[in-house]
Amino acid sequence: MKKNIVAMLLAGGVGTRLNILARKRAKPAIPFGGIYRIIDFTMSNIANSGIDVVGVLTQYKPLSLMEHLEDGRPWDIFGRTRNVEVLPPKTGEETSDWYRGTSDAVWQNFNFIEEYSPEHILVVSGDHIYNMNYNLLREFHEAQQADATVCLVRVPEEEARHFGIAITAPDGRIADWEEKPSKPRSNLASMGVYIFNREVLAWALARAAKKNGYDFAKDVIPVLLKQKRVCGYEFNGYWRDVGTLDAYWNANMDLLRTGSGLDIENWQVKTNMTDRGEIGDRPSTYFGRFAEVRNSLISRGCMIDGSVENSILSPGVKVGKNTSIRDSIIFHDVTIGGQVEIKRAIIDKDVVIAEGARVGIGESMPNATYPGQLFTGLTLIGKTVRIPATGRIGTNTIIKPGTDLARKKLRDIPPGSTV
Amino acid sequence: MNKTLALVLAAGQVDELLTLTERRPKSAVPVFGIYRAIDFVLSNLMHSGISNVGVLSQFRPYSLLRHVGTGEHWDFIGRTRTLNILPPYRGQKESDWYKGTADAIYQNISFIESHKPDNVLICSADHIYRMDYQPLLQFHADIKAEATACFTKVISKSKRFGYAVIENNNKIIEYVEKPEKPPTNMASMTVYLFKTSLLIDLLKTNAKENSHEFGRDILPKLVKQEMLFGYKFRNPWYYARTIKSYYKAHQALLDRKFDLNAWQIRTNLIERAEKGDRVPARINGEVTNSVISEGCVINGQVANSVLSPGVIVEKGAIVQDSIIFHDSLIQNGAFLKRAIIDKDVLISEHSELGRSGSDVRSKEYAELLEDGFTLVGKGIKIPARTRIEANSVIFSTARDIPEEIPAGSTLK
Repeated sequence: MKKNIVAMLLAGGVGTRLNILARKRAKPAIPFGGIYRIIDFTMSNIANSGIDVVGVLTQYKPLSLMEHLEDGRPWDIFGRTRNVEVLPPKTGEETSDWYRGTSDAVWQNFNFIEEYSPEHILVVSGDHIYNMNYNLLREFHEAQQADATVCLVRVPEEEARHFGIAITAPDGRIADWEEKPSKPRSNLASMGVYIFNREVLAWALARAAKKNGYDFAKDVIPVLLKQKRVCGYEFNGYWRDVGTLDAYWNANMDLLRTGSGLDIENWQVKTNMTDRGEIGDRPSTYFGRFAEVRNSLISRGCMIDGSVENSILSPGVKVGKNTSIRDSIIFHDVTIGGQVEIKRAIIDKDVVIAEGARVGIGESMPNATYPGQLFTGLTLIGKTVRIPATGRIGTNTIIKPGTDLARKKLRDIPPGSTV
Repeated sequence: MNKTLALVLAAGQVDELLTLTERRPKSAVPVFGIYRAIDFVLSNLMHSGISNVGVLSQFRPYSLLRHVGTGEHWDFIGRTRTLNILPPYRGQKESDWYKGTADAIYQNISFIESHKPDNVLICSADHIYRMDYQPLLQFHADIKAEATACFTKVISKSKRFGYAVIENNNKIIEYVEKPEKPPTNMASMTVYLFKTSLLIDLLKTNAKENSHEFGRDILPKLVKQEMLFGYKFRNPWYYARTIKSYYKAHQALLDRKFDLNAWQIRTNLIERAEKGDRVPARINGEVTNSVISEGCVINGQVANSVLSPGVIVEKGAIVQDSIIFHDSLIQNGAFLKRAIIDKDVLISEHSELGRSGSDVRSKEYAELLEDGFTLVGKGIKIPARTRIEANSVIFSTARDIPEEIPAGSTLK
């Protein structure tokens, strides 16, 4: 079956810097904005651009991701000629093995691409928050008669060293490329979104593989720059890499900041609404007689009896009386008792916080175990953690998934700890 | 285990809900923000492990057809699990528009026979309750009944129900349909369980008569033959037959008379065929004792109200004791009390609905519209600074909304 374009979605990211949020799920499967997962943004961009064949390259803890993607139905990429195919690594074939990098993952599945004989292949990452019409990219690519086009976005100078950086020529070509440079020569960062002509990509991947190169940014793009016409397409909209806890928290908070550019109402993001395989659908949220909610996003199935401000609540969160939640992100089915105080916390699914507990208190000192990951005063509570009544959890603290602080008789966790 | 086929009556052409059923059957009226009335019976059937369902529809069925679809939202899909919509059909001698509840089922006898069930469970699509039908099936089998009807205790003995006198041995010794003075407080839930052969015999006999209703024609006959048994249901049960009862169900939800989470009601989540999914509710106002759906944006005050997805309440607007359907917009300075607002309505700046209440009943619908409700039909645009007094109804067909609408008015 012939298709003009096929999308290959890289969803294998380990997400180490997102710490316990990525402990049991791939980075693209981390919840975002209450009801979404990070991958929904890219999946919706693909669907809204009318692309209807998607290969999803998974490797790391793909179960929740595969459940979420289902058969592509939530994004309408479903039917006899429309297809979302999850492509995990496979053995038993000559060219197959664990994916050794991003370009290797695409190369090992090149037969999937060739089934559709597309003219163009769109390669995208599943872990960015943005809204983009890939048709405009394809039109640019065609108008430039490029062999490959790399999407670029301007980032703050001080952050440029974390990205692949392009130096563009006046004719739109990318003249030079630096991968995570210590002294960047520009602030045009690669978004990890590429479009290739099929023959060019086949040639470049085969060549990279022969030389044991397995990464688009390190091994494929630099070679293409020298031999083919590679152009840069500058994207001017909101774009965030949510690879760190701070970036993740900030991008969520952008949903609550007017003028942040994260305009979720107009982005038409779709998700899989049958979350958590519930027997029944969740009813709309009940706000009690003493509820006070300011500048917050509240999903369905919540019961709010306390006060919530600048926060994002996923479905099924219960907030007790005289409880105060500020500047926090709370995942599905967290139960919070009365008289609880929570500040700047990210709380994973199914956590239970008993009466009178306080989360995110005390001085802000970096986390002792992960000083590079948790230092801005956030507190991270892992899935199914239980916090006892009147427990005190300091800032920059990580409570690992499954920890029952009550049973461990831990009531007072000082700032910067990891439990 | 005996095989049970369920038939859901969603056919009734009853306009007692005024503008709410102007373009949709009662079974498709939005309930509790995100559901439609029929979701409750379909979810009950799903949870009770009944695998084959027929839905009898006739009256303005489009929104119902779209909502129920193939039944997949209730898992009625697969090789042995089916849901069929059974509209009236023509071209055969015995087919025509359904002439009553019994006739609707009579016209689908071939559908029943094709399933070869031992029993047929007949339910209505306009009742709001959570019931496991398995204990009913067990009861029916244990007492070797061939016909069992379900009853629930009601406080206000409305004239709209059938009432039964049930003896200690569960036999019904008296049944009266819509009596002036009910003999008991046990009201029929219009949930019936029949042995298939008996049902088919009864329907074939009834077809020769002039009236074709289960409550009026078939149940009294069975009582006379001492063949009808009564099953008492003791959990909360609400219905959407009148504006008052519809509102009462919503009030019960806000009063937490039952735990809707525990009811595990399923619905068709793909409402209104949106291109993107609705964002979680964005709340930056005062919301108390209310149920708010996703996609709502609340910057004003909402109290004791139930809002469907996509309702916007602007800063300075006040919504009290009201029910608002999908995607209606309440602008700055507007005031709503005991209003029931259908989908896509615009209440412009500084308009007031039902502010002072009223003893004046609806002139046209005295029996149906009292108690201070104000109803606004789908897509109506109320201009700025309009005053609408209580017990008024504006149908979706109304043009030119005057500035002052006195109590008890009807606009069509």
